Amino acid sequence: MVRSNYDYPGYERSGPVYWAKKLLLYAGVVFGALLMVAPFYWTVTTALSANPGAGVVTVIPETITFEHFIDLFTEQPVGRWFLNAFIFAGAVTLFNVTFDTLAGYAFAKLDFFAREKVFLLFIGTMMIPGMVTLIPVYIILAELGWVNTYRGLIAPLIASPFGIFLLRQYFLGLPDSLGEAARIDGCNKFQAFYHIYLPLAKPAVATLGIFAFMGAWNNFEWPLIIATDHELYTLPVALFLVQGQYTQNWGLVMATAAIMVVPIIVAFLSAQQYFIRGMTLSGMKG
Amino acid sequence: MATKDSRSTEGGLTEFVSIEAFDRRDNLAALLFILPNLIVFTAFLFIPVVFAVYLSFSEWQVLTGELQFIGLDNYRSLVYPLPWENDWAVLSTPTVNLWWWAVSRTMIYTVGVVPVAIAGGLAVALVLDRQIRFKKAFRAAYFLPVMLSGAISAIIWGWILNLNGIANNVLAPIGLAHNWVGDPSTALGAIMLIAVWAGIGFNMIIFLAGLQNIPDELYEAARIDGTNGWQRFRHVTWPNLQNTYFFVIVLAIISSFQVFAIAYALTSGGPYYATTTIVVLIYQEAFQHDSMGLAAAMAMLLFVVIFVFSYYQYRARGNDEVTY
Repeated sequence: MVRSNYDYPGYERSGPVYWAKKLLLYAGVVFGALLMVAPFYWTVTTALSANPGAGVVTVIPETITFEHFIDLFTEQPVGRWFLNAFIFAGAVTLFNVTFDTLAGYAFAKLDFFAREKVFLLFIGTMMIPGMVTLIPVYIILAELGWVNTYRGLIAPLIASPFGIFLLRQYFLGLPDSLGEAARIDGCNKFQAFYHIYLPLAKPAVATLGIFAFMGAWNNFEWPLIIATDHELYTLPVALFLVQGQYTQNWGLVMATAAIMVVPIIVAFLSAQQYFIRGMTLSGMKG
Repeated sequence: MATKDSRSTEGGLTEFVSIEAFDRRDNLAALLFILPNLIVFTAFLFIPVVFAVYLSFSEWQVLTGELQFIGLDNYRSLVYPLPWENDWAVLSTPTVNLWWWAVSRTMIYTVGVVPVAIAGGLAVALVLDRQIRFKKAFRAAYFLPVMLSGAISAIIWGWILNLNGIANNVLAPIGLAHNWVGDPSTALGAIMLIAVWAGIGFNMIIFLAGLQNIPDELYEAARIDGTNGWQRFRHVTWPNLQNTYFFVIVLAIISSFQVFAIAYALTSGGPYYATTTIVVLIYQEAFQHDSMGLAAAMAMLLFVVIFVFSYYQYRARGNDEVTY
């Protein structure tokens, strides 16, 4: 942990003004944090309360019941949606990590024709708004008969410019001499990548994996477009559908939301440093 | 061991050539390394972009799958103006051009969300950069909304803001209860609130990264010069965050232009088109009204605007000099 910029001798650490400031600061931070977290808490409490019609700000629901969850599982193919979300996010992550690691390595450590131009071309695609390509991609997939299939759901998302950028950034930070030593010891180019550099790039690979998984898990627009059949819905689209069907039954809607939110919170809390490091890894060295 | 520092500053691509003891170029190997990406990008990015350009000059018949070239008609139908009365019912008439309407809604959203989310993110980052107790827990709390997709956030907030929701129960005693989502004049505000709520944590993380990169010696020197907190922020923190806030602003504006999930999941663009932003309109034209060509033309215009904006920003930022 970096020493704080404010922790210096001579910095006032006593007196009523100091304490008043400190109190105000903490009050502000706590209030803001509560605003951030409260919606999640209410999601879970509403899902668990028997009669959530009136939005009462309860700390603990008066009656705890799992009936909304039970209703949800009996009335809707929630298991199926969950499975879809996992297949979708899992496949996207696997492909992304594999492809982007390979490409990121090539752009960082191999010397080839028009390398920087190709890299710029790849990164430049990040500027294209999603909707520009979604429409043609949909038409192409419709012609192929891939609408409403796992193939169509997964295929367009299996490579991402962001991942290439992230991995290239990381590989650039690793010394060239490692690869050269490996080459002298008789490794070919792929072996040098696979045995020497890849193990060293674990943090970046893990970060990309988490980002890819979260991105696919949360992706709303693409499944909304490509999955016309309930059987292929992923969770966000399913939640949207449930909300449309049960506008009056907030308990049921929030139960669906809770099913989506809880895995994310668990994943986040268990791999927090990767998320936050990943955000900062993206090469924003000021 | 001495290693050549090939770390490039963001955006800048330093040419460096690794000294290969065996052969000078790795063309074939590199091709194999980037081939999977090349195939995917070609199929799902490069070809579709070219196709989108063509599509924006044509009409796609859904039933027959035929493409008809119609020249500039799609673009022409986007330029005739909208009556600027704030009469929601007028919007439902077919003679009204929704394109400029959607552009204006998106602009209002951008102007409202970007400054607030950035100022909030910076404020939180400055506080959480200090010696404060439970720093990790606070950071996690502020970052949590970022983990959620816009669609889920919108639905959760839709329930908080609904007529009998928590928000109104809190506001009713002071006479401020209101149908926030159902009233066309406040629906966009509800969308903006959700976007700010989710955006603060994202900007906070990027600002925190920027703050970590400011050398402590600068603060030490400032202290020796007898500066107060505000002066240190003004003359040390702020100039040194230049790159960071440039990055944050550009990112925030580009993503605001493309807001979709929050608006669509909360209100599907309604009530009375109050939350029909550009991408919501494109989605509805393409996938609900089957006007693929028109939607492609709209998407092209959005692309051009974003491209010009990004390019201009990139060029305008010639001076990386930090002035104290």
